Amino acid sequence: MKLLTSNFLKCSVKACDNSNENFPLRYDANCQLQQDESIDCNPEFLINILERVDWNALVQVASDLGNKSLPPQKPELSPGDDLTDDDLAIIRDMHSLLIQTSIVEGQMSCRNCGHVYYIKNGIPNLLLPPHLA
Amino acid sequence: MLPTPYIKCDYETVYEPCEDSFLLLDGLEQEQSFLQTRFRNQLAIVCELGPGSGIVTTFLMQNDIPHGNGSIYLALDISPWALEATQDAQRRNDCQNRYLSVIQSDLTKCLRQNSTDLLVFNPPYVPAEQVPDRPSSNENDKSQWLDLALLGGEDGMVITRQVLDQLDTILSQQGVAYILFCARNKPEQVAESMRQQGWKVDLIINRKAGWEVLSIYRFIRQ
Ligand SMILES: C[S@@+](CC[C@H](N)C(=O)[O-])C[C@H]1O[C@@H](n2cnc3c(N)ncnc32)[C@H](O)[C@@H]1O
Repeated sequence: MKLLTSNFLKCSVKACDNSNENFPLRYDANCQLQQDESIDCNPEFLINILERVDWNALVQVASDLGNKSLPPQKPELSPGDDLTDDDLAIIRDMHSLLIQTSIVEGQMSCRNCGHVYYIKNGIPNLLLPPHLA
Repeated sequence: MLPTPYIKCDYETVYEPCEDSFLLLDGLEQEQSFLQTRFRNQLAIVCELGPGSGIVTTFLMQNDIPHGNGSIYLALDISPWALEATQDAQRRNDCQNRYLSVIQSDLTKCLRQNSTDLLVFNPPYVPAEQVPDRPSSNENDKSQWLDLALLGGEDGMVITRQVLDQLDTILSQQGVAYILFCARNKPEQVAESMRQQGWKVDLIINRKAGWEVLSIYRFIRQ
């Protein structure tokens, strides 16, 4: 699962919807990551993503996974602007983190109820056991 | 006519593309410019529920629907076999450079609320005594997964109803949903009750398929 996907996944337990702790999930530090260089960087796509992304959630997940280098504030880039070299460097970093990085094996849990979800073979399983569904 | 993906998978476990799947492709092709305009210059989060073989999501990726510069495709199925098939379809049709994540999930329970811009669903719509239970393990009698692809409980609407009831928390402010119905789902009644709850609902395409009439409705906020 690509790292950016963590920005869209919350706990499946209905009762957790009433808490602010069900998103993002907490990712285990031992998650196994993989880098896929085959996807080309498309600056416009990345700018559109940045505009939409929940930055705090991203910073938190990256830090769970051992990357503490993200700035606390979302980088400001707008489409149509002439991009400076610095902007392009940010875009390349974001591309490498959000799109090229995937979690292939590992687990994550809800910060509210503690339920653990697994990622196997790159596919996260967010189904609940029958007694929680 | 837009190209149709090449699909090959084990149809003993995964729903084989049928008239309903093809109607969905035709409907989405027809909606292409509507969607392009609606999501111009912005990221679109596309979520297909129940991708099965992956034919619909791959069609969207292949043809840059809603648009080329930025769609994120999320394919959510309850069946692990469907998710494998969907990844396979992506590879087979040279769409590896598109952003796709497949997720095993019961409907949209795991999705952050109000984040989906384009929702597409060809649900299990065949009327049946009840919706079958989920097999207890991936390896269990594989045909049980196929029952889940077809059987929709009372009026064939039990699963679709859950999605419609949640639509307001699933879709983003500009979100659009395309959902397929068969005549026995009584889609006109369903559409009318959604209109009364403030949705703009339009029939975008319908077709006779054998003795069944299939239709696709589009749901947006008023
Ligand atoms: C009629 S098939 C459609 C397959 C494919 N989209 C197509 O058009 O050919 C329905 C799909 O929904 C999935 N499904 C059934 N119940 C589900 C649920 N509760 N959550 C997620 N997916 C579900 C099935 O596994 C199956 O892949």
